[in-house]
Amino acid sequence: MFSVINSEWYKLRKSKVLFLLLVAPLIGLFIGLANSSIEIEEINAWHEKLVMMNFTYAILFLPLISGVLASVICKYEHQEGGWKQLMALPVTRGKVFLSKYLLLILLMLAMQLMYLVSIYLVGVIEGITDPFPMDIVWKSIFGGWVATLPLIALQLWVSIAFKSFAAPFAINVIFTLPTILVINSERFGPYYPWGQPFLMMNIGGSTGDVFFVPWDQILTVVGSSFLIFFIGGYLYFQKKAI
Amino acid sequence: MILSLVKADFLKIKRKGMWLLCLIGPFGVVALQMVNYGVRKDYLFDQMDDRWLYYILNINSFTPLAIVLGIVILTSFMASIEDETNAWKQLVALPVSKREVYLSKFTVVSCVLFLSSVLLFLFMSGYGLTLGLGADIPYLRLMEYSFLPFFAAFPVLGLQLWVATVSKNQAIPVTLGVVGVILAYSAPLLPDWVIWKWPALSNDWDHSYINALLGIGFGLVLYLLGMIDFKRRDVK
Repeated sequence: MFSVINSEWYKLRKSKVLFLLLVAPLIGLFIGLANSSIEIEEINAWHEKLVMMNFTYAILFLPLISGVLASVICKYEHQEGGWKQLMALPVTRGKVFLSKYLLLILLMLAMQLMYLVSIYLVGVIEGITDPFPMDIVWKSIFGGWVATLPLIALQLWVSIAFKSFAAPFAINVIFTLPTILVINSERFGPYYPWGQPFLMMNIGGSTGDVFFVPWDQILTVVGSSFLIFFIGGYLYFQKKAI
Repeated sequence: MILSLVKADFLKIKRKGMWLLCLIGPFGVVALQMVNYGVRKDYLFDQMDDRWLYYILNINSFTPLAIVLGIVILTSFMASIEDETNAWKQLVALPVSKREVYLSKFTVVSCVLFLSSVLLFLFMSGYGLTLGLGADIPYLRLMEYSFLPFFAAFPVLGLQLWVATVSKNQAIPVTLGVVGVILAYSAPLLPDWVIWKWPALSNDWDHSYINALLGIGFGLVLYLLGMIDFKRRDVK
């Protein structure tokens, strides 16, 4: 298993794809510094930065970029019969799917951490002197990562299914754009999988739990959509004609 | 000659879901407002005296995002149909100039987007009429917010087609598109010279036609730059 993940990593390591991860902190810096005029009465100046940076980042950027990464990770296999070559090796399809998924979520975690750095940088540039609320930021960064797990599973599924980048991206866009409206709804917002990154990164939520979202919502919405997308993709890949 | 190239390009996008996207884009933008007005119609009616204008502005908060993303998908798709089968070489080996190949791709994407704008006009007016927003139907404003974003988005189209046709890896244009949509979403915070702001039709002069004219002019410049670069490059 480990060797399969390792070989997936080799395919990426020297490619320029890792630069993609740097887009996240750049976007973070842009949204953080562009919004500097908004003033909210808060105890801690970091809170206001976090509210507004996480909004754009979690609603649009995180779901969209996770789809791009998923397409990237299947790129070599779609070229020149790569799937055939990979499957001719003594590896099972299940292991290939699982290792691609694991590598993807590790990349997403790395991206979230770089976004964390960009939050800190925005604060330093703007000269925020309040103590950095690590407990809150940590919840938000890690929560956003957990919320993207089902989305990555779906994107890996459609990226395996389609050769081009355009088709998986189109599907991603169709589900991501409505998030802007759906999260306003108290009734439907909590049940929309693409709204979860925002809900789990939004620092305004309940603070008693480990995340900003109650556990039962994480388990039902994130958990069940993860199971559906992951098992769906896994079974699809088992049966896919190569 | 160019006509047959355009025809060939239209054949290539047949049955690939691109026409479906051309329908889903404008329909989706209006459908989001159907849900929005369906859930809290009374609240939205109280927001502004000019209900038609408020409705159009609500729609226009999504149009730029849909156009920018639509351009990203279409241009990346136009490039990848040639990439996938290594058809660039075969295509330019035909007795056609590379300039015409590029122009044909640009034309096809523009046609699909223009059709989307026509559909947006029909859906936006159609749903607006059923809402009872007032007796004065602002046809001119409906046309303005259906067609001008399309013209204002020409520079984005020129840039994305350029990057998509010269990139070996489609992750580059798609990532540029993701950054673009973040910029389009943050339009109110950006200065007027940022091209991703233009489809939102807001500027310091308060005349939306300026965005459309700038879009056509600057779009032409980016189109020419992309075409020259495409012609200069080696095809593998």
